[in-house]
Amino acid sequence: MTAIDPTGADASKPGVTGHSLFAPDKRTNARNATEKRFRAYGVVAITLALLALLWLLISIFSAGLPAFRQTFIEIPVTLDAAALDKAGHGDPKEMASVTTIGYGKQIAKALVDEVKAKGIDVGTLTDKEIGEMISEDSSANLRNMVLANPKLLGTTVQFQALANGRVDGYFKGRVTMETAARDKNTSPEKLMLADKLRAAGIVVMKFNPGFLTMTDASDKRPEAAGLGVAIIGSLYMMFVVLCLALPIGVAASVYLEEFAPKNRWTDLIEVNIANLAAVPSIVYGILGLETFINIAGLPRSAPIVGGLVLTLMTLPRIIIPTRAALKAVPPSIRDAALGVGASKLQTVTHHVLPLAMPGVLTGTIIGLAQALGETAPLLLIGMVAFVKDFPGAPPSGLFDPSSALPVQIYNWTQRGDPGFVERASGAIIVLLAFLIIMNTAAIILRRKYERRW
Amino acid sequence: MKDLRLERDVQTSTNKIEARKVQVYYGTNHALKDVDVDILDKTVTAFIGPSGCGKSTFLRCLNRMNDTVASARVEGSITLEGENIYDARVDPVQLRAKIGMVFQKPNPFPKSIYDNVAYGPKIHGLTRNKAELDQVVEDCLKKAALWNEVKDRLQSPGTGLSGGQQQRLCIARAIATSPEVLLMDEPCSALDPIATAQVEELIDELRSQFSVVIVTHSMQQAARVSQKTAFFHLGHLVEYGETGTIFTNPKDPRTESYITGRIG
Repeated sequence: MTAIDPTGADASKPGVTGHSLFAPDKRTNARNATEKRFRAYGVVAITLALLALLWLLISIFSAGLPAFRQTFIEIPVTLDAAALDKAGHGDPKEMASVTTIGYGKQIAKALVDEVKAKGIDVGTLTDKEIGEMISEDSSANLRNMVLANPKLLGTTVQFQALANGRVDGYFKGRVTMETAARDKNTSPEKLMLADKLRAAGIVVMKFNPGFLTMTDASDKRPEAAGLGVAIIGSLYMMFVVLCLALPIGVAASVYLEEFAPKNRWTDLIEVNIANLAAVPSIVYGILGLETFINIAGLPRSAPIVGGLVLTLMTLPRIIIPTRAALKAVPPSIRDAALGVGASKLQTVTHHVLPLAMPGVLTGTIIGLAQALGETAPLLLIGMVAFVKDFPGAPPSGLFDPSSALPVQIYNWTQRGDPGFVERASGAIIVLLAFLIIMNTAAIILRRKYERRW
Repeated sequence: MKDLRLERDVQTSTNKIEARKVQVYYGTNHALKDVDVDILDKTVTAFIGPSGCGKSTFLRCLNRMNDTVASARVEGSITLEGENIYDARVDPVQLRAKIGMVFQKPNPFPKSIYDNVAYGPKIHGLTRNKAELDQVVEDCLKKAALWNEVKDRLQSPGTGLSGGQQQRLCIARAIATSPEVLLMDEPCSALDPIATAQVEELIDELRSQFSVVIVTHSMQQAARVSQKTAFFHLGHLVEYGETGTIFTNPKDPRTESYITGRIG
């Protein structure tokens, strides 16, 4: 045995008695070395974690920030009444017979005219090829503008057209002369003309609010794709989750914690709630598909269904922290309230719940934040569909087809055009911004309601 | 400190609470056995005994706070002015307004001093308007000998007071519902000697209006404040009688061992 006698009776053994306090003995050295090593592991782990986080942020922001800037072509467009309103009555219903192609021609012509008027050398490019530098989506914008205000016919308007995705990519560094030479959608000549137009002030790059307000766009028009529908869909779903999960979750927690008898059944429920929090979210998707769409007959892709599915998923995540917050309220407060003759419910609503509020709110917001970022269950209930129209105002809008932020990100990463990579990264930034806002709200609420006892 | 024993004059008043054959079980544990006690009106009754002897358990039976313990079961009868408080028709909420309680650790609500005292009258609807409520709060704080210290800061949090002040605030809160009996579970165990002396003086003053039952670990305290003393040991009520008799001439050898410090 090498155990050291703590009484120091055995003086031949080092390190207990007969040793100066100024010189550390062997065991102390070994202990200190272990501690130093342990601290070093900690520092290394933290550094690695921070580097990973930094790398994540850098890659997302470098890829996603360009999505907030867009290349526009600013030209005066003369709205030819003869071509756009053949009947000549100024009636929007009749004018609707002119498709976007008709408007596209007007814009292309306007660009060609403008280029010629400024005396810019177009090289070998034909008028048609010059027109292709404008996004196909612009004609739809112009058409909507005219149909909304038929009086514009015959006038000349200063129109801001979206540039084609390749031109936009060229200014963002995604498209180069080499790739353009191999690309049948564009050509080096077009890019050279784009450079000249930019110098002439016809092509400009500026902040693109449309990224947050526009709807999704088809595969060939990444420049026109926006998050409008996805943001509204996500907000609707968060609204549904908040309205259902918070009251149900808090009521369930209060009942289980304060009123329910402690027996086998409540134990079973408790274990099940804890387990439900760990169920993969896609399982909730299947459940929602079967229950809400197949049995209840609710529409597919609707925020109401997404909200219901996410409510199921969020409930255990609200119940668990809420119960913990209720448990943390000192029993002396309950005694005090009961002692002056408050009923059980008064004790809970007047004293216990207000004291547990910071924990309840934090749990709720964290639960909502998780629901906001959840993708898998939404795929199963059809929210991955291409949605071009904004959902209506609630409550009926909750039943309209819609998208959601994380699903939109997933959707864009599936597209072929490289312009969508930038859009997806930009959407991740928007999603992160929402999560940061929610977590900040959680911290502020917790600080505000925090009380000492 | 004045010796309260000198002014002790036991009134031969009526029985406020009568307990007969009270048994308490926590699950299978028989915590309190065959307790018979008569608690007099306008008297301070002290429960003494070593830890775990059942004195707090019995105190908590008197206002049915044991109802909140799921495993607790009470048998026997406890009557308040002839009415059995364990009758099925009795709502413990009403009972607790009549029998106030002060706990071991000062436990003011994390609200203002005013709200602490006003809470009981508010939930029982004892006042008709704000002016009446203000008056009740002032009276109770005065009775609890706290008014002069807090009258300028009624809206500041009750938890910001010192320990002794908090305990007197809790007493003010307990008497705000104008109870008939005031139960105190070791009210001074978390207080320093000066705060203890203040609370003890207060208890003696409260005796003129309420019947006070106090559980205490300190035999000196029992001797100072009470007129009647009950000695509990291992779940039995060993001896109950005049405080003077218990401390000077106990009948049971266990009581004598305890008060002389040989057991406990």
